[in-house]
Amino acid sequence: MERRLPPKRASDSPVRSRQTRLPDAAEPVLEVEALSMDIHGVPVVRDVSFDVRAGEVFGLVGQSGSGKSLTALAVMRLAPGGAVTRGRVLLSGTDLTALSERRMCQTRGRDIGMIFQEPMTALNPLRSIGDQVAETLRVHGVASRSEALCVAREKLARVGLPQERFGLDRYPHELSGGQRQRVCIAMAIALRPRLLIADEPTTALDVTNQAEILKLLSDLAADEGMALVLITHDLAVVAGMASRVAVMHEGRVIDVDDTETLFCEASHPYTRDLLRDSLHQPSRRSGSGGTPVLEARNVIRDYAIRRRSLFGARRIHRAVDGVSLTIRQGESVGLVGESGCGKSTLARAVLGLDAMQDGMIQVDGVPVNLVRARMQAVFQDPYGSFNPRQRVGRLIAEPFHLTPLTKPVRHARVIEALEAVGLSAEDVDRYIHEFSGGQRQRIAIARAIVVRPRLVVLDEAVSALDVSIRARILDLLTDLQQRFRLSYLFISHDLEVVRSITDRVLVMHSGRIVEEGVTDRVLSAPEHPRTQELIAAAPRIPEEWLRAGIKAGKPDSDTP
Amino acid sequence: MKVPAQLWFGAALSSAFVVAALVSLVWTPYPVDELSIDQRMRLPGDGYVLGTDQFGRDMLSMLMVGARTSIAVAIVAVGIGMAFGVPLGLLAAANRGKPVDEIVMRTNDLVFAFPSLVIAILITAVFGPSAFNAILAIGIFNIPVFARVTRGGALSLWTLDFVLSARVAGKSRLRISLEHILANITNLLIVQGTIQFSLGILAEAGLSYVGLGAQPPTPSWGRMLAESQTLVSLAPHIAAFPGLAIVLTVLGLNLMGDGLRDILDPRLRSTR
Amino acid sequence: MIGYAFFRLVSLCASLAAASIVIFGVIEVIPGDPAAFMLGVSATDDAVAALRAELGLEGGVTARYFSWVGGMLVGDFGTSYTYRVPVSELVLARLQVSLPLTLYALALSTAVAIPVGLAAAARRGGTADYGIMAATQLGIAVPNFWFAMLLVLVFSIGLGWFGAGGFPGWEAGFWTGVKALTLPAVALALPQASILARIMRSSLLEVLGQDYMRTARAKGLSGRQAVVSHGLRNALIPVMTILGLQFSFLLAGAIIIENVFFLPGLGRLIFQGIIQRDLIVVESVVMLLVFAVIMVTYLVDLTYAAIDPRLRRSI
Repeated sequence: MERRLPPKRASDSPVRSRQTRLPDAAEPVLEVEALSMDIHGVPVVRDVSFDVRAGEVFGLVGQSGSGKSLTALAVMRLAPGGAVTRGRVLLSGTDLTALSERRMCQTRGRDIGMIFQEPMTALNPLRSIGDQVAETLRVHGVASRSEALCVAREKLARVGLPQERFGLDRYPHELSGGQRQRVCIAMAIALRPRLLIADEPTTALDVTNQAEILKLLSDLAADEGMALVLITHDLAVVAGMASRVAVMHEGRVIDVDDTETLFCEASHPYTRDLLRDSLHQPSRRSGSGGTPVLEARNVIRDYAIRRRSLFGARRIHRAVDGVSLTIRQGESVGLVGESGCGKSTLARAVLGLDAMQDGMIQVDGVPVNLVRARMQAVFQDPYGSFNPRQRVGRLIAEPFHLTPLTKPVRHARVIEALEAVGLSAEDVDRYIHEFSGGQRQRIAIARAIVVRPRLVVLDEAVSALDVSIRARILDLLTDLQQRFRLSYLFISHDLEVVRSITDRVLVMHSGRIVEEGVTDRVLSAPEHPRTQELIAAAPRIPEEWLRAGIKAGKPDSDTP
Repeated sequence: MKVPAQLWFGAALSSAFVVAALVSLVWTPYPVDELSIDQRMRLPGDGYVLGTDQFGRDMLSMLMVGARTSIAVAIVAVGIGMAFGVPLGLLAAANRGKPVDEIVMRTNDLVFAFPSLVIAILITAVFGPSAFNAILAIGIFNIPVFARVTRGGALSLWTLDFVLSARVAGKSRLRISLEHILANITNLLIVQGTIQFSLGILAEAGLSYVGLGAQPPTPSWGRMLAESQTLVSLAPHIAAFPGLAIVLTVLGLNLMGDGLRDILDPRLRSTR
Repeated sequence: MIGYAFFRLVSLCASLAAASIVIFGVIEVIPGDPAAFMLGVSATDDAVAALRAELGLEGGVTARYFSWVGGMLVGDFGTSYTYRVPVSELVLARLQVSLPLTLYALALSTAVAIPVGLAAAARRGGTADYGIMAATQLGIAVPNFWFAMLLVLVFSIGLGWFGAGGFPGWEAGFWTGVKALTLPAVALALPQASILARIMRSSLLEVLGQDYMRTARAKGLSGRQAVVSHGLRNALIPVMTILGLQFSFLLAGAIIIENVFFLPGLGRLIFQGIIQRDLIVVESVVMLLVFAVIMVTYLVDLTYAAIDPRLRRSI
């Protein structure tokens, strides 16, 4: 296939100019001009324009509902039913919006590849991975079946799934999320398209997988001279990847610039807010040195795994392997690690939800299952955390189960908790569907503090929230901790969040705690190799950009 | 909330039959237990709205009393199915993967291997035919249906965080099943109940048609059809009206079920 | 795959054993003395004892159960008390009507339902879709035996295209036999085809919303190509489940429909058995029906595994 442009590494580009001053060297592969989309009459994308050059990584960032994914679908002309699109989309000068559906089919997969967010469901479960990658070539009629399989093998090897370990006859269910995303990438690049659109490609993956997939994508873009549009909600991801960034808000592109300029100058107020919120550090006092609240000694938790065959031996997976930890009053302890390292299992054991195989867990010196009300939890999903059939008052009162308090006392405490999290007393009679995601997480926190527990376990409690809401929730948590002398066990995959709210941090790997210490020390000078990997994998916005950006952000008085 | 037209239509149709059945308890146009041979096989309109049958009984009255039999059998059978199936389903879901779950589900599969007709045959062979046996046969068949629906709905709820929160509060599995799970599968059960109700009416008709259901002199739609079979060319109306009654009742219930599903749980797609 | 088939085979045998215990319990244990039950209250003690000896009903419950099961394994279902011939002979003769009827109806239902369901899904929200949905709604509500009566009224009595009932036997020629079974099969197939068409439609619509369909479009497949190469096979999985269930409904339905058409099938045999209190016949036929249902479930499970690689892991 002919390539009009030599591969060019985006990061080598010295260009640092406004979009209006396009570099002459690279002509645009994709030009989006005044693109708008309505779904059933509701405007979701409004007058969006940007362009992407060959070999460039272009970041499209925004919070949920900002229209960034729909913009990509509009480019692909795969918008959902009821959508009406206006404006022009030029791919190397050809207006895609004017193509017939047949021509558009020939363009998709051949000239534009696309990767989606959910690798677990993006592949057909009934067909082998080789078959699915080969299909990209087969459907465009460029290869025979055996040639296509040959290319599939080569592409799968290119994305890190070599033939020896990942045969073409493997099925999606035999692969992990990260591996499946690699298959999707292989499918998208099989015909070396000019443009690759990656829509939140790593959001469903953990940090180590995320780092690998992002590296793979940027290498591919560079090697093949592809233009890459990277859609994400995570500013740190674009900071490390993109040469230019467009920020979307409420369907509009409100800021577009070179990545470094965008971060350092932070000229648009919305960009500045976004940046500040994503790095938000609640002002908090260190809370170590109190009496121990939670003590866990040598906790072991095993799971039985499915037998490999009918007569196979029973196998056991040790999810938590001899973990000990202590949390003192008023202290925040972070627990980090990749997915599957056992941190959620440990949390469940601490909460007394699962029986342990060995070890002991005590709260104030008493076994955990005897003093349930001294420990509460906030979980990740603000939508699945509440029984939709109960009113807020009853939802918050749930932890009073097994406590001897009278009804009026309970009611007063519920009101108090609601007000403590910034909601009002009238909300007790409302149902949960009337609240937004951020408000729901506040209600979850109210439920956790209503019994005045000693310890609150926060299991990925802010992970599903947009950055601006996340920042407010972190402030709230800090405030409540100081008011009620709470201890937190804060489980998160997000190291920035852990840094902002914890005193100490534990790093977990394969069921064991491999490193622990004061948060700043562990995150800035990690000792254990696993911790080092974890920190290296986490995307970060460069320090100097931040300093510049925050300086530019003045005179916002509320910046710490 | 927008109520779909099919729900109105279905509800109107099925309540018409329920009302007819209830009215028949206190009044019918003609008595159904008196035979008058000189009035037999009158055509519709000829002094009788829907004509008379081969024994001179008023068809409309027969249909009204027949509705009573059909609806009573189907409702009680749904009741049996729910009374046993729902607790079993909740129990299985609360103990997912444990021996209790396995036992409940395997027993379920076993009962599923006996279509309601086969259960009715077994019961009738030993106890003789009766409306009660028809209820029992359809009811037993309904148990695994409700157990399965309940377990399926409950399992997806057990994975949600609000159940975890309830467990953090120290609530037992039983309490969680009753307080959180049951309340959230009521919609599912209402919809399935409507479906089983309509299937029950069809099954009752089939059973009484082959003589395994309500026995003479209790009028029932299925037996009216069986008795009319040899006369179908002479007096088609005798065969037409009971059949139409079954079709309209079942249609009404199904439309109502689909309509309820649409407004109560948009996530559930039409699966029938 | 072989491991899976084996595992399912074990559970198949367990189901059959459990079903046989239930049937044996209801027929031979609940009535107390089956021989006395069969002869009625007026029978003398001598006659009951004679019948008991004749039917092999002497001995304990456990011994009788095992001799019944053991007999069935070698094709000996006992002797009919009313017909005075081996039950296996009776059943074999009747199966030649019931089994072809069931399969005929199953084939008809599938052949009609799948294209109709696909057509409705393809025209979702259109007039054709509404028309098909309304027709299937009606089809589900019609009792098959009443529909059978209407068919007889129109096609036999009215048009004279088919006989009103009876079965000439396969000796009279294959097509003659098929013709005699056509109206019953159509009557049986209509409600099942309606259900199946609705399942096919909703299952395909569900699959169309899946992420992998969008992936396929992003690769450059047209909407139609995506449906054919990714949608259909996934959409057929729920359809398979219903097909398996339908077999048992069709089998039961066949028993009823045989009454409308005076077909000498298992249905007639079993109802005569009930009326004449011939428990041995009832027991054998019920066991046979349940065996068929369990076997079909097994085959459906194996087909699943063939379609869906996720199930091929040994257990």
